[in-house]
Amino acid sequence: MSQSIPAAVVKPVVQTGKRKFSVAKIIVFIFFGVLLVTQLYPLLWLLIYSLKSNEEILSGSFFSLPSKWQWVNYSDAIESGNYYKYLGNSVFVTLTVMVLVLLLASLVSFAISRFRWKYGQAVLVLFLIGMMIPMQATLLPLMIMFKHMHILNTRWAMILPYVAFQTPIAVFIMSGFMKTIPHELEESAVVDGAGILRIFWNVILPISVPPMMTVCILTFINIWNEYILAATFISKESLKTLPFGVYSFVSQYSVNYGAIGAFLVLGALPVIIVYFLLADKITKGMVAGAVKG
Amino acid sequence: MNVLRVSKWTIAAFVLPCLILYVGLVFVPILVSVYSGLLDWNGIGTSKFVGLDNFKTLLFDDPVFWPSVRRTLMFAVFSMAEIPVALFVAMLLSRFVKKPNFLVSAYFMPVILSVVIIGQLWKTIYNPAAMGGMLNQVLDQIGLSSWTHSWLTDPSVAMYSLYFVALWQYLGYHTLIQFTGIQNIPADVYEAAKIDGAEGLKADWYITFPMNIPIFKISIVLAFIGSLQAFDMVMVMTGGGPAHATDVISTHMYNMSFLSMKYGYGSAIATFLVALCLIATVVINFVFNRLERKYT
Repeated sequence: MSQSIPAAVVKPVVQTGKRKFSVAKIIVFIFFGVLLVTQLYPLLWLLIYSLKSNEEILSGSFFSLPSKWQWVNYSDAIESGNYYKYLGNSVFVTLTVMVLVLLLASLVSFAISRFRWKYGQAVLVLFLIGMMIPMQATLLPLMIMFKHMHILNTRWAMILPYVAFQTPIAVFIMSGFMKTIPHELEESAVVDGAGILRIFWNVILPISVPPMMTVCILTFINIWNEYILAATFISKESLKTLPFGVYSFVSQYSVNYGAIGAFLVLGALPVIIVYFLLADKITKGMVAGAVKG
Repeated sequence: MNVLRVSKWTIAAFVLPCLILYVGLVFVPILVSVYSGLLDWNGIGTSKFVGLDNFKTLLFDDPVFWPSVRRTLMFAVFSMAEIPVALFVAMLLSRFVKKPNFLVSAYFMPVILSVVIIGQLWKTIYNPAAMGGMLNQVLDQIGLSSWTHSWLTDPSVAMYSLYFVALWQYLGYHTLIQFTGIQNIPADVYEAAKIDGAEGLKADWYITFPMNIPIFKISIVLAFIGSLQAFDMVMVMTGGGPAHATDVISTHMYNMSFLSMKYGYGSAIATFLVALCLIATVVINFVFNRLERKYT
């Protein structure tokens, strides 16, 4: 008896609490839903838009599905837009930059975090300053330099500055990680008679895979999407990367609305596919890049 | 303490390839830029040393410059104003959603897309209704035809249309950052607070806000520096037009350097921009370090 009274007293309190909680919950979830629509509907709209004919697009029925799916927009875009060429260029440039950044930055990070020398910290600070320098401020001098080096309008004109501008964050992330590796590891490697290169390649690098992943992700997102530098240094059709290609396609075919929509979807597709596969890794990598930057 | 004792040559072999590339392509151009800022030069003919004339013109005689600075700063203000919203969303997410990963990833989606895609997508959305623009079509159909605008070609609204796209794209980014910060606050802090009678909003006020200040700072720095450098999106969507109505510092620099071929003058603007970024970073860090010391 004495036990059931407090239970009876407590029960309604819990219930009202719960009901209040669920009203709040409904409001919150409506809010989340609205936000979801604002963030994703434009992308969905683009997809629908890309499958409509010009007449349907211009008719003003923004909400309707296409009466007949115009896949022809996609074949138009692919045929007249050099899509595969741009895609290939983007893959090549991004992969090359990734490999170079990983290689160069891990060498420097190793030296900064494991060697006993006076200027390690100074070199790190030099790289840190670079994170605050806006890339666009270097466009003009770089263009003049590249003109003299005769590499304007070649892939190097993109790859070299991309690598240079990705190294600061890469060095920062990797040297920060390498500092935390216990020193006993290389001490024992030294005792075993391993040289510097072997310590670097067989001991430190295998442990440093997580920060290298982060660097890969940041490099991928930044370089894959880069547009201005490519558009400034490249004019050859055969060297254009995907964002630049999308831009030129749009300005060239400005009245074929459906095909423009299709090309935008095609331009977004590779990143979206990668994102579907690696969403967790990408979000984590981007946060790591932001937090450490 | 670092243990590996190696020869100078080894250090050089490890450090120099990267360092030379980096200094050569990041620092040298900036120094060249500072120097070219003192020249009257169109990039082809001979250059003439004019001292600080370019800076004088920039600061006192350029009708485009100060408005572009104002827009850049407004950009920063709007971007920073978005962060409390992102924090709020993140708080709701961590309190009400059991498996928030789907929502967070979905909100984050626009962040990973290229500015070209985002810019062209929104250009299409902002198009006049007769050209298939979604926004104006929506307004027409819900009876708000008087609200329709030529969003990107009307000088009085064009800049706001651009701000909005930037806010739209980066909301997910800041939400994710704040969300990660909140997740990293240890759960036992909240449990201890619950015992002391602080729950819900009260717990957020006394725990989430102060403990999240470092993360908040990161978002603020990113938003501020990002806005100072705001460039690609404006270039893609309006190129600074109509009639300079959407020019920010970077686009003004780009147009001066590459369209008007005033290399010296463009470099002077670039120098100003770099200085502004460096100063802003130092100031923000200083302010937040004081805040952190005060509240934690």
